[in-house]
Amino acid sequence: MSDLEAKVGGSTEELVIEASEALRTRKASRIERIGDHLRNEWQLYVMLIPTVVWLLVFLYKPMYGLQIAFKDYSIFRGVAASPWVGLEHFQTLFGNDQFLRALKNTVIISFYGLIFGFPMPILLALMFNEILAQTFKKTAQTIVYLPHFVSSVIIAGIVITAFSPSAGIVNTVMGWFGIDPIYFLTKPEWFRPIFVGTGIWQEAGFQSIVYLAAIAGVSPTLYESAVVDGASRWQMMWKITLPSIMPTIIIMLIIRIGNMLEVSFEMIILLYQPATYSTADVVNTFIYRQGIQGGQYDLAAAAGLFNAVVAFVLVMTANTISKRYSRTSLW
Amino acid sequence: MRKFTFALALMGSTAITAPAFAESHLPIVEEPLELTIHMHWARAQGYGPGGDTSKIYPVEEVAREKTNIHLIDQTSGRNSTDQSEAMNLLLATGNLPDIVGGAKVQQPVNEYGPQGAFVPLNDLVEEHAPNIKAWFDEHPDIWNAIAAFDGNVYYIPYLPDGKYARAWFVRQDWLDALGLEQPDNVDELYDVLVAFRDQDPNGNGEKDEIPFFVRDWEEVLRLLTLWDARSTGADVYHQFYLKDGEVAHPYAQEAYRDGLANIAKWYEEGLIDAEVFTRGSSARDYLLGENLGGMTHDWFASTSGYNIALADKVEGFNFIPFLPPKSVSGVRIEENRRIPMKPDGWAITFANEHPVETIKYFDFWFSEEGALLANFGVEGKTWDMVDGEPIYKDEVLNSGQPVNSQMYLEGAQVYRGYPQDYRYEWQWTRESAREGIELYDTEDLLVEQFLGVAFNEEEQAVYDKYYPSIVTYMLERQQAWILGSGDIKEDWDDYVETLNKMGLQEVLEVMNSAYARQYS
Amino acid sequence: MSGVKLDSIVKAYGAVQVVHGVDLEVQEKEFVVLVGPSGCGKSTTLRMIAGLEEISDGTLTIDGRVMNRVAPKDRDVAMVFQNYALYPHLNVAENMAFGLRIRKESKEHIESSVKEVSGILGLDKYLERRPADLSGGQRQRVAMGRAIVRRPKVFLFDEPLSNLDAKLRTQMRAEIKRLHNRLGVTSIYVTHDQVEAMTLADRIVVMNAGRIEQIGTPMELFLNPVNSFVAGFLGAPPMNQVKAVIADGDTSPVAKFGTQQIALPSLPGLQNAVGREVIVGVRPEYAEVVTEAAPGSVSCELELVETLGSEALLHMNLDGEPFVIRTETLGNMAKLNSVNGFTAKPELIKVFDANTGMALSGQTRVA
Repeated sequence: MSDLEAKVGGSTEELVIEASEALRTRKASRIERIGDHLRNEWQLYVMLIPTVVWLLVFLYKPMYGLQIAFKDYSIFRGVAASPWVGLEHFQTLFGNDQFLRALKNTVIISFYGLIFGFPMPILLALMFNEILAQTFKKTAQTIVYLPHFVSSVIIAGIVITAFSPSAGIVNTVMGWFGIDPIYFLTKPEWFRPIFVGTGIWQEAGFQSIVYLAAIAGVSPTLYESAVVDGASRWQMMWKITLPSIMPTIIIMLIIRIGNMLEVSFEMIILLYQPATYSTADVVNTFIYRQGIQGGQYDLAAAAGLFNAVVAFVLVMTANTISKRYSRTSLW
Repeated sequence: MRKFTFALALMGSTAITAPAFAESHLPIVEEPLELTIHMHWARAQGYGPGGDTSKIYPVEEVAREKTNIHLIDQTSGRNSTDQSEAMNLLLATGNLPDIVGGAKVQQPVNEYGPQGAFVPLNDLVEEHAPNIKAWFDEHPDIWNAIAAFDGNVYYIPYLPDGKYARAWFVRQDWLDALGLEQPDNVDELYDVLVAFRDQDPNGNGEKDEIPFFVRDWEEVLRLLTLWDARSTGADVYHQFYLKDGEVAHPYAQEAYRDGLANIAKWYEEGLIDAEVFTRGSSARDYLLGENLGGMTHDWFASTSGYNIALADKVEGFNFIPFLPPKSVSGVRIEENRRIPMKPDGWAITFANEHPVETIKYFDFWFSEEGALLANFGVEGKTWDMVDGEPIYKDEVLNSGQPVNSQMYLEGAQVYRGYPQDYRYEWQWTRESAREGIELYDTEDLLVEQFLGVAFNEEEQAVYDKYYPSIVTYMLERQQAWILGSGDIKEDWDDYVETLNKMGLQEVLEVMNSAYARQYS
Repeated sequence: MSGVKLDSIVKAYGAVQVVHGVDLEVQEKEFVVLVGPSGCGKSTTLRMIAGLEEISDGTLTIDGRVMNRVAPKDRDVAMVFQNYALYPHLNVAENMAFGLRIRKESKEHIESSVKEVSGILGLDKYLERRPADLSGGQRQRVAMGRAIVRRPKVFLFDEPLSNLDAKLRTQMRAEIKRLHNRLGVTSIYVTHDQVEAMTLADRIVVMNAGRIEQIGTPMELFLNPVNSFVAGFLGAPPMNQVKAVIADGDTSPVAKFGTQQIALPSLPGLQNAVGREVIVGVRPEYAEVVTEAAPGSVSCELELVETLGSEALLHMNLDGEPFVIRTETLGNMAKLNSVNGFTAKPELIKVFDANTGMALSGQTRVA
């Protein structure tokens, strides 16, 4: 108290000096605190090092190469020595009708995938959760997980065979109802349903594992309590299970939205034909034909950068919306 | 290891009896010289049997002994089977070996050669490679074809031998059953296909025959030649071709319009396999094995094998080559042929401190002795000289393994730059295929091939900007027309206009300027 | 009459029996506490009443109706769980309304019920909050509110307070008791905490290893445990139990242990029992401290004094065995450190058979 009175009595100059001195001492003590902290917790920082190194080497260092999107890139000259061309590659892309079409197709196919493909693993997980017979449950799970482990080439072969106009199961069944065979894989209007359906068949089972794990984490007393309250199995599924795994669902949805433009392109390459390009050609396949096959890495990088920017915007938007309305968010 | 190698080489030398080629000076160096090599191709990622670089090819042993030059493996991207990927990796690391070889080296070598990554070979060949020079003096068009846009040659290619690749095949037993002759022109071909469709040649009482089928759907386009159109000008599909000394695109010609209209008609009538676009590589096995397919256009060698393979399964099965039917104007051509030079081979990098020795080494494989080694393997081990002809030993021909697979492990038929010798393949070609090839040799069926051009940077930019989209559009329209969505005759003017709007004329311009520079 | 009757209830998982024929009759409006160490089968018994576990054998009757094969929702019982079992995605009002909504009650009824019950429980201010934003005590209150709004015939509590800290537990205990007094609904309450049992129960059921040891009012069980297990389970600290042998004393039988002895009440069970091995039980509260050896006193050595405020716990060493004495501090503090023995009134001493553990002594009454 007497100190304070002394300060109040002193000149402003003195006050400033004292204040800055006070600041300095506070700063020094903060550095000391950090030093103490490092001395005490160094084991934690050592454990952090591999992750930081991994991030730097595999995620941040490659960002250096992104600049080729703005360069006339030559592999031999290297990234640094290749000349700058500004936005030329982006102009090339957006001046190309086929790129714009591919962009449109990508969005539509992703959107279909989201609408039809996203709920499927959730439904599967809910269904598995209701199966009581363990043997049947395990068998069913194995069967739906299986396509995930089969190579895309074989999956595509199965799809092509299934939709064959002469021998395919689909056309055979249609034949029973007197419908003329359709050469599905050459019909642009059929490509997206077939592709999205194939994706669901291939991945829904495996993706359901995440939701099954979330369901396993729901406290069993919630169900017991509901049983005593008189809830039916159906009501428990809708009023307990589904809301309980909602945070998982939302996180998965945000991640999925971030990958919107990443359509599984090897599958498209295996299934599409020039005849179906009008609905099947996506950004990745366009880049594949245009860029990689022709060695135009700079153009491919430009398209990839564009994809990444769009994905970033999508994730940010989805996350913000989710944070505001459902309290769940990635960060 | 070195001692062991040396001993083997000594043993090899006693077996070799071939006379030295007059102009060669072997060994190339007095003291053994080690050169590093990148060698990446489908059968081996690395310079060793099957890509196993801990072993040494028997052919390499002999070559070392002969030339005193030792190739040491330094292949990048050995964990990938994609040659372009491996090449990119190699170039990106910047640590180039002395020699870069393997499949698909032409494009990168001709792109990065002018940037300084590879050594131009023109003067080296002129001064130090008499055998290579002699070969290309006889084939100046190929020398032009392998040159980069700056006029320099940067790689010595693998030069395939032999003329025919694919041919027309028909079920002769079906023709006999229906009392028909082999079709000699497009109208007779139509009649035969209709008969196959309608008259139940397989005799099962069902109308399940597929008159014309192919494995790669693009082979259907060979039918275009029956209406004097073209499907491609090279050994890959949809390529530019030479029309009256100018580079043109086959899919922008009026003959194409008429030919494709007819193909669409045939497809609609069920003469062409309805599932041609998705049947894929198993089409031939399936349709022949099930006794359903009547006619195809496919490789001589592999297609001629079905008569033996299906002898027990399909009674009377007789699938034989026949001459291409004459077109509407009476011209008989076989559009598909072997390309005389491949984009495979080898090149000398800027890091190589012994370019002269290296070109002399490359030249060794063009000498008679080197070419025999590169084609047939080690004399006395896999083959013997009989009456001046290299003849494979019986154990090679009858081992149960394809001869080419055996050669790959010996170090012969490897994708170094060398002239292939068709005698190698002829020895293990089936009798039926040989007959077919002899049949095709009775007439002059082949057409001039477009061997490609090397663009300079501005030309390349124009090509990259326009062509990929153009070819995409062409193929989209093409399939749509064949499948019957749209009528090519009605759509034609729009189509041509769109192609021009997409820059076809600009692409043709750079094509022709590059062509004129390269082949004048 | 909404009583609950258990008749030889058995629970078996395959060949393993965990509840061995429990008989229990709970009267209407009665508050019965099942107490026992963990694994004694009390929770399983409760869950069988709720219908969450199948009854392997025996008969369960609620309100005169056999309930063995009746679905939980039709038994008209409500249950409060140890970890509250609140739905994290619903707010307090929705949690409380859940059971009513499931039963498709009218909106007005749901609203008025929730309002009324939240008033009783003092939850009015929190109706819009989610469980994550509530304290443990508030959550437990919501869990109870959810049971109460349904107005069931029977409340079942499964260790509802064991996740709370000591202070809250005391508070909630009283609240539950008040609530029961106010609502008067038949309640069955499971706990392992004998204090809860003592304070809440009209009657306590002590269970051990799948069997009922004793049923009775808290004071009956406290004063007259039928066996050494019940004696050791109820009371804090529990009854001191000392191994001894019966011998003849001057006026009544005595129990000898080591070189010392203590006078026992003259009970019919102790006649002609000289030489019998017994366990002598002395409640810490009923031992009176002495600082100098006197006739009838048992000497022991003081090891530790724990003062609790009004009382102190003296940890003694009786011939190598621990012996706890609870004594008042008022006026005693000065001599606590010089305590070297105790006396006990014979009529307050319990005697159990050393082999069977069964009580040999008769009834003790507290006037």
